[in-house]
Amino acid sequence: MRKDLISGLVLLAGAGTYYAWAGEIADSTLSDEVGAAGLPHVLAIVLAILGILLMGRTLLASQARQVAAGADDDERDARLPRAVGFLLFGAAYVILLPFVGYVIGTALLIGGIALYEGAPRTWVVPVAAIGGGIFYWAVFVKLLGVHQPAGSLVQGLF
Amino acid sequence: MTTIMDIIRLLTETPLIFVSIAGLTWGILGGALPGISASITMALVLPFTYTMDPAQAIALLACVYIGAEYGGSIPAILIRTPGTNSSAATVIDGYELNRQGRAGEALGISLMSGVIGSLFGLAMLIMLTEPLSWLALAFTPASYFGLGILGLSVIASMSGGSLIKGLAAATVGLMIATVGTDPISGVTRFTFDIPDLLGGVEPVLVMVGLFALTELMSQSGSTNTTQLNQKIKIKLPSLAVMNRLKRSQFIGCVLGLFEGLTPGGGGSIAAFMSYNEAKRWSKTPHLFGKGSEEGVAAPEAANNTVASTALIPLLSFGIPSSNSTAVLLGGLLMHGLIPGPRLFEQSAQVIDSIYVGSFIAIIAQIGVGIIILPACIWLVNRPRPYRAGFIFALILSGIFTLNNSLFDLGIALALGLVGFLMRIAGFPVLPMILGVVLGHMVESSYRRSLVLSGGDHMIFLQDPIAVALLSIALIFVVFSLSREVRDARKTRIEEARS
Amino acid sequence: MTFIKSIGQAVLGLATLAIVSGANAQAEPLPYPNKVVTLVTHSSPGGGSDVFLREMTKYLGRYIDATFIVENVQGGSGGKAMARVASGPADGSVFYATTPTYIYTSLMSKPQSTYKDMDPLVNIFADSEVIYTRTDGPYKSLKDVIEHAKKERGRWGAANPASLERQAAEQLKRAAGVTPAIVTHEGGGDMMLNVLNGTLDIGIGEIQELRSQLDAGKITLLATFNPERITEKPDVPTVKELGYDVSLVKFRGLAGPKGVPDATKAVWDEAIKNLLADPEYKKAYTAEVLVPQLIGEKDYPAFINNFATSTEEFLKSTGAIK
Repeated sequence: MRKDLISGLVLLAGAGTYYAWAGEIADSTLSDEVGAAGLPHVLAIVLAILGILLMGRTLLASQARQVAAGADDDERDARLPRAVGFLLFGAAYVILLPFVGYVIGTALLIGGIALYEGAPRTWVVPVAAIGGGIFYWAVFVKLLGVHQPAGSLVQGLF
Repeated sequence: MTTIMDIIRLLTETPLIFVSIAGLTWGILGGALPGISASITMALVLPFTYTMDPAQAIALLACVYIGAEYGGSIPAILIRTPGTNSSAATVIDGYELNRQGRAGEALGISLMSGVIGSLFGLAMLIMLTEPLSWLALAFTPASYFGLGILGLSVIASMSGGSLIKGLAAATVGLMIATVGTDPISGVTRFTFDIPDLLGGVEPVLVMVGLFALTELMSQSGSTNTTQLNQKIKIKLPSLAVMNRLKRSQFIGCVLGLFEGLTPGGGGSIAAFMSYNEAKRWSKTPHLFGKGSEEGVAAPEAANNTVASTALIPLLSFGIPSSNSTAVLLGGLLMHGLIPGPRLFEQSAQVIDSIYVGSFIAIIAQIGVGIIILPACIWLVNRPRPYRAGFIFALILSGIFTLNNSLFDLGIALALGLVGFLMRIAGFPVLPMILGVVLGHMVESSYRRSLVLSGGDHMIFLQDPIAVALLSIALIFVVFSLSREVRDARKTRIEEARS
Repeated sequence: MTFIKSIGQAVLGLATLAIVSGANAQAEPLPYPNKVVTLVTHSSPGGGSDVFLREMTKYLGRYIDATFIVENVQGGSGGKAMARVASGPADGSVFYATTPTYIYTSLMSKPQSTYKDMDPLVNIFADSEVIYTRTDGPYKSLKDVIEHAKKERGRWGAANPASLERQAAEQLKRAAGVTPAIVTHEGGGDMMLNVLNGTLDIGIGEIQELRSQLDAGKITLLATFNPERITEKPDVPTVKELGYDVSLVKFRGLAGPKGVPDATKAVWDEAIKNLLADPEYKKAYTAEVLVPQLIGEKDYPAFINNFATSTEEFLKSTGAIK
């Protein structure tokens, strides 16, 4: 129930921010009556109303009866830091990619995630990581012919 | 005119059969890689077709399109990642079936439903191009608005429990869709002077973030290894199963036909709507969302139908109704072929090889599917630490190719976090995705209609198609709401009893 | 946005060059300092600029002694492609395919590099922007359309928002003193449907996108915004000669990084002149209703600056940019 209250507040805050940003949309004479900012303003108001409704419903419901949060919920909440950690590998990949290039970046990502997810620390990890990096490079760059960053530090090696 | 002799000649004299199967296989590969949409898969092969014989080049592109529309369902079922926009609806029940250890069945159903959809679409293309092309003309901006609202009305039944939360998610989706260049005045909105945002946020980034990354994040650290016990065999549906699925496949085919004809959607709207309709007309609607076979069959029949029927407005008007057909148009132009009524007279050979090539590809799809699908199932059943790493790398590599942009990767990662928080807080993600997919169409057609009418809302009631679509939408919403209230009351009574 | 976002990088190999070179070698190709020249476009494979470049590179090898590669750098409405070229080597090995889009993007957002960071090299074509209506509709001339707009509320279509077509529609509106509703679309195809089904009186777009229905006789051209009549359609009047002082040029040319040597620029001037006169190429581009419009390296920078200034003024006057 506390969660719904927080969600409602987040929705309200989001609606406010979005409304403020929508105020910065340029007003063009090429526009129509609704205008470029028309829908955004409506959406912001709708979201704010939904946020208030959510909070209101929660408050009313919590007065009526106390509902215990399920054990499943708690377990999921506890995983939040872990999940964010997982995402941080992705962030590191995005930051490193322009420097180390696609093959090494991908190998680091695969290896890092494998260790993070509890792979036994054996020779399999580096082999899978490097193999994976080369395999994806072969599929994307060689087979499909799409561009992936070469990496400013290792340019010329591949 | 096409004669049997022409067809036999095309089959024997030229290596059309190889071209078709190669195109199909390439399409399945590209479609199955997340982020690499059907249009990108086609665009990647386009430069190579430049030196080919025109008839074969166009047939190749058409076969790539068929393969890519099908291929998108493979990662949707196996790793909760829609390979293409139009396979997002397949994720819902396809992945659920996979979690229940029925990946082989789900893939079999999607394969056969895809084949049925493609065959239906091809039949329509061959027989009814002329009459159907005039249907495309009947769509005015007001009709498109009706279509968009009809699509959004699905939200009411996709909110899974809390309507307020569903609507809030949809609103956020619509907000994401407003980012970019305003469709009417051309001013920039919420772009913060970042050129990457001028074209808006790609729906596939939202899908990958909310579906795939969220799933990877919530699996992180879990010790659940049930997926390792799967049979890696692909199981084609038996006749009895096919018989059970025929209603949902029919719904998918019909909606796919319409979406292919009308510019703008590219399959995702038909997929979502046929999912919803299949649920409404199903004998077992309670299974939807919990691993329904029909929930896989309907959207897959729909998006595969689109791959053929989208060629109708392209070939008869030169109007690409999706990004994929825009690439095909480029292919035609590169070979000096101008689509339009005269193409059918002047370049009959090109038309014939599209028909014959597509047919070969559709039939070959079964064989290619049976060969590659077990390998795919095997791949996703590797030990979890490695599987997580490889899927993560695959997703990030795929969406990088979308715009060559690290910025896009950042957006997808951020949406992954949003999706995870939504899961914790009990918000459904489907309405948000629907909002992103439909927001642009709803807004631009609404405003375009009002420009036309000088601000008079009566325009929506004067257009017969708009009236029909809006009334259906209204019935949907009332129907879903009454069911929602009924269900809520039922649970309250049950709670009170216990 | 009408751009299809995808990336493709393709080497248009020697194969195509081999087919055409030798077939028509009336002039020796001019010597060039680079073996490989990359032509960058923001258009996706199959898009307007992409088709234009690939078509041109088939013949360009006859006049410049180099291999030409087309590279599609998409994203950011041209922002990425501009950055790629502006930061590239200024030795004549990399050029950007210019279209009005690159000016619009430079003005509408703040990309890393803008048109100001590149040197316009040479203009090659002008696309034909035309006013069209459905053949079985009530309008037989632009005058009919304007008369109608004076009496009732006219309905005009422009292919894209904040584009050259939109600008043309606004200017025509002012010149004719009428106030029709102007409906912008996402690409010419979308708009053509609305002209065909009678939702719109007229559409303003590129002739290339109309060819199918033009050939089938379903639509009729009423006028062109080109400064002169289109050679292929001699009976279509220009807007200007109908008494409305509006004309515009949707240019297609090349621009390079700043500081390309003058000698290299001179090679291009010469080569493009010969290229446009090539009988085979001429056949190909006239079939596509591309109007050759050679503007050499001396005048092209002024042309681009002029275009950018008037576009900027237009966008500022409407409030779209500050």
